[in-house]
Amino acid sequence: MHKNVVIAGYVRSPFHFASKGDLVKVRPDEMAAQVVRGLLGKTGIDPKDIEDLIVGCAFPEGEQGLNVARLIGFLADLPISVAGTTVNRFCGSSMQSIHMAAGNIQMNAGEAFICAGIESMSRVPMAGFNPLLHPGLAERFPQAYISMGETAENVAQKHQIPRARQEEFAVASHQKAAAAQAAGKLKDEIVAIQANGASVELDGCIRPDTSAAALADLKPAFSTDGSVTAGTASPLTDGASAVLVTSEDYAKAHGLKPLARLRSIAVAGCDPEIMGIGPVAASRKALERAGIAAGDLDIIELNEAFASQALACADELGLDLAKVNLDGGAIALGHPLGATGARITGKAAQLLQREGKQLALSTQCIGGGQGIATVLEAA
Amino acid sequence: MTIVTAAVIGAGVMGAGIAAHLANAGVSVLLLDVVPKEGDNRNALAEGAVAKMLKADPAPFMSKRAAKLITPGNIEDDLDKLADADWIVEAVLEDPKIKRALYERLEGVRKDGSIISSNTSTLPLSLLTKDMPDRFCGDFLITHFFNPPRYMPLLELVTGPNTKPAVLETLSAFADRRLGKGIVLCHDTPGFVANRIGTFWLQCAVVETLDRGLTVEEADAVMGRPIGVPKTGVFALLDLVGLDLMPKVDASLAATLTKDDAYQSLRRPFPLLEEMIAEGYTGRKGKGGFYRLNKSNGARVKEAVDLKTGDYAPAGKPSLASVSASRRGGPKALVAHDDKGGLFAWAVLSQTLGYAAALVPEIADDVPSVDRAMRLGYNWKFGPFELIDKLGAADFADRLKAEGKAVPPLLEKAAAADGFYRVKDGRQQVLTVAGDYADVERGEGVLLLSDVKLGSEPLAKSGSASLWDIGDGVVCLEVHTKLNTMDPDVFKIIAKALDIVGKNYKALVIYNEGSHFSAGANLGLAMFAANVGAWPMIEDMVAQGQKAYTALKRSPFPVVAAPSGLALGGGCEILLASDAVQAHAESYVGLVEAGVGVVPAWGGCKELLSRLARDPRRPKGPMPAVAAAFETIGMAKVAKSAFEARELGFLRREDDITFNRERLLADAKKKALSLVEGYQPPEPVELTLPGPSGKASLAFALRDLYAKGLATEHDMVVASELADVLTGGDDADMTEPLPEETVLKMEREAFMRLVRTPGTLARVEHTLETGKPLRN
Repeated sequence: MHKNVVIAGYVRSPFHFASKGDLVKVRPDEMAAQVVRGLLGKTGIDPKDIEDLIVGCAFPEGEQGLNVARLIGFLADLPISVAGTTVNRFCGSSMQSIHMAAGNIQMNAGEAFICAGIESMSRVPMAGFNPLLHPGLAERFPQAYISMGETAENVAQKHQIPRARQEEFAVASHQKAAAAQAAGKLKDEIVAIQANGASVELDGCIRPDTSAAALADLKPAFSTDGSVTAGTASPLTDGASAVLVTSEDYAKAHGLKPLARLRSIAVAGCDPEIMGIGPVAASRKALERAGIAAGDLDIIELNEAFASQALACADELGLDLAKVNLDGGAIALGHPLGATGARITGKAAQLLQREGKQLALSTQCIGGGQGIATVLEAA
Repeated sequence: MTIVTAAVIGAGVMGAGIAAHLANAGVSVLLLDVVPKEGDNRNALAEGAVAKMLKADPAPFMSKRAAKLITPGNIEDDLDKLADADWIVEAVLEDPKIKRALYERLEGVRKDGSIISSNTSTLPLSLLTKDMPDRFCGDFLITHFFNPPRYMPLLELVTGPNTKPAVLETLSAFADRRLGKGIVLCHDTPGFVANRIGTFWLQCAVVETLDRGLTVEEADAVMGRPIGVPKTGVFALLDLVGLDLMPKVDASLAATLTKDDAYQSLRRPFPLLEEMIAEGYTGRKGKGGFYRLNKSNGARVKEAVDLKTGDYAPAGKPSLASVSASRRGGPKALVAHDDKGGLFAWAVLSQTLGYAAALVPEIADDVPSVDRAMRLGYNWKFGPFELIDKLGAADFADRLKAEGKAVPPLLEKAAAADGFYRVKDGRQQVLTVAGDYADVERGEGVLLLSDVKLGSEPLAKSGSASLWDIGDGVVCLEVHTKLNTMDPDVFKIIAKALDIVGKNYKALVIYNEGSHFSAGANLGLAMFAANVGAWPMIEDMVAQGQKAYTALKRSPFPVVAAPSGLALGGGCEILLASDAVQAHAESYVGLVEAGVGVVPAWGGCKELLSRLARDPRRPKGPMPAVAAAFETIGMAKVAKSAFEARELGFLRREDDITFNRERLLADAKKKALSLVEGYQPPEPVELTLPGPSGKASLAFALRDLYAKGLATEHDMVVASELADVLTGGDDADMTEPLPEETVLKMEREAFMRLVRTPGTLARVEHTLETGKPLRN
């Protein structure tokens, strides 16, 4: 039993700074519903054929709680027959939703899935409203709960990523994103969000004027003698994303236009205190399963939780930085935790098509010490 | 008529500050300025002023939310919107042509019955209203605010012959109750009241300093605290207001005063001042003034100007026998001394106070108006006439005569009778212009404890606190220690209050008329006990405080606390133990115990937790209230207004805020009486706390703060104990609510563990010595 799985559409909301951007007052369920509606409109799929709405979310409580996927289905006017489930693998949540859809399709348990992701970091704080740690685990294995900033410092130290290199990487991310925005290259993927009488149409986190000199002036954000600053970390962000995942047969039969075909997927654990290195193990597995080498990749979407960990992963995997994050990464665009996995996988698929390339990788690190990876090929 | 919406025209320092204070009072304000010549934003001036005020310290706004009540605009596009304003305040350049041209435009748009006022400090009302239409003159007056408008309580009002009485009535009632201003009705004379006397005093002090060869440090040491004036004295005050202001004010006064006014003879060139201004030494806003903080070579050295050479040198600490004498003997001992300080003091005070005595009733109807203006506008502890009484009116007049100087007629009358003020039959009386005495009038809704004290004996008294019958069945508990700190003698009086009020009265109000409600527990006492190892004594003080505060809470009658100024630590906890709070808007509230290395142990942790948990706006679950309390107490946050105190949870939404300091006691009493009928004391609460799971998550947050350099070694020790108390300790579990007694016990235990640590003792000692927290 083997069925090919394709990405048949990708959209996202504009991404904005949490607590001060244009999406602060937008409920995440409402934002995700608008994105899902945008995906339906863009792909033209008959909603009745959708098996399940799988929504990734890192902190599924408050307005993101109560199995928000089902509620998003109602808000988006999906047929009642379309099921809904919420998935949590922290930052890897919505890439996980794609993997689940792929598994289901191969199990012959559905032909079409909407795999979405949301996070309003304005409205649900990181760690949630009621962080209650296991006191015994906190004592015995404190790295289970380590802060993300601290892991970024650990990775910078262990892999010797100096501050200047992190800053150079961050500046490049902003420049690529700004150039893509200016050239209208991001327009295609963005669904405008109607918020309180206004239409939010553009990304809000990109800083085209950022320079290495400006970043060099920032104070370390997490440790007084550290190298990671607010300028080399992804910002707290509000946003939502969605991709349409179908069997290749279904796409062909219904006139959908696949962006890319899934070639392999993988997850892997690593030490929590260096969670940023997670993509290395996950990507190696996925590449091996795809039967290709890192050097074969044409397009890479490597999530920029922090410049230090992205660079450490690129170094370890031997990635060509010229092929990484062509339209900018999370440092410039933002990182709405649960929404990032679907964004970078959808983006990798879109770039394969746009650039006319063959092989792509999307991968990201995950708090608690994990990595997740997807290998795509031209459809 | 009531004032619901207002407009301020002119977004300079004064206009913007007035707009901010109107917003503090909950009034919607339109703030307009001209359209700037450059740039696309036509509202740039008003918008810029609001943005700047949001960052300013001291803050013009009492809460960030108040800023939203200001709508910035410009006088070209938004003129029509002035039709909505009930009160239009003009605060544009001090140029009669500009002002009058503006008034003409305003006349075309403003609605009937609206009030229009000018914030001028130098222009006479007669000039501003000359040949203006009747409608304008009827609705116009001068409202002269003092800088900064939020903090300076004086508002001088000047009306013209045609100003409608209803206009004055509406505006003064509004400014008094809603803006909290002390109103002084001034006559339309140059400089009105406060600046007329204040400028004379400053000019006189500068001249006498130069003539007598005093240093600026010596002059300020004499012209400050010893006479009840802020320690800025003369020269540091000029630094504060700006040196460049002095020639302007001088020129304006000189031009408008008559030739024979005593002020004219004080005027003379001051080349050093002109030089300093020309070189940008305009005071604190410039490169420095008569003083400056020299930060070169990494050190911060306070320097003062040598008035002879104009060079800066490290500021000296003058030691003058006259100043020492004044510590015991007050201003009288100061001027009686014949060292250069005493002679300087006499020279300045004899001229200034004599000048003031000659100006009543020219500048204001009566003596109390002038005293009030100087107290509220210049922060003098005593007005000029009160100062004369301190010196002895007869002695003062005799010395003037002996020196061959003129004695103003009003001073003659005071010298021949009982001075300017006297107490008769338990009431304060004041000398009238006619020469007889009349009761000092308090407005309706004003109740002063100082008046109560003149006419009655305390119901009970210890060295630290007293109980007063303030009428209608209400008792006032007055703490009167240094900074009104809490100590065992206060607890004794609380116990008395429970007994006395319980038997014979209806309600208790906790209030005093010091600058500060209470700075907390008496640290000196705790330090003394710690130094001799008397730990049981400290433990007893903690237990007694808890007992006294709990007893207040459980008392069978309502207890209302009425803070103004600082209410910190134990002073904050007594607010938390009260049934209700009637807070002065300028209340600065916080549980600051962590700053001295301990946790709140008089119920502060317990009360803040239970209040935050009851707040319906907070997310559900066991952690949000705990995390908020941890942040507020752990960072020793101090609310910078009663509104901020409400945001932090120290005040409940049903607690009230009074803007006018003089109305605080009457409002608190009213609040207490409103609670009497059907009063039931609150039941002990149960607290749902997360226990070790919650503590573990606070510990992680703390660890991150430490890594970021935001917490010190000893902060970690203190915060860890605090986390333990707030989460309910090792045995707590969210399924089993804890009785409040358990949390109180944990407060005591954590306090006792911390107070024995060297880190905490070092903090207490440092704070006692320097008044500042130690970051160890």
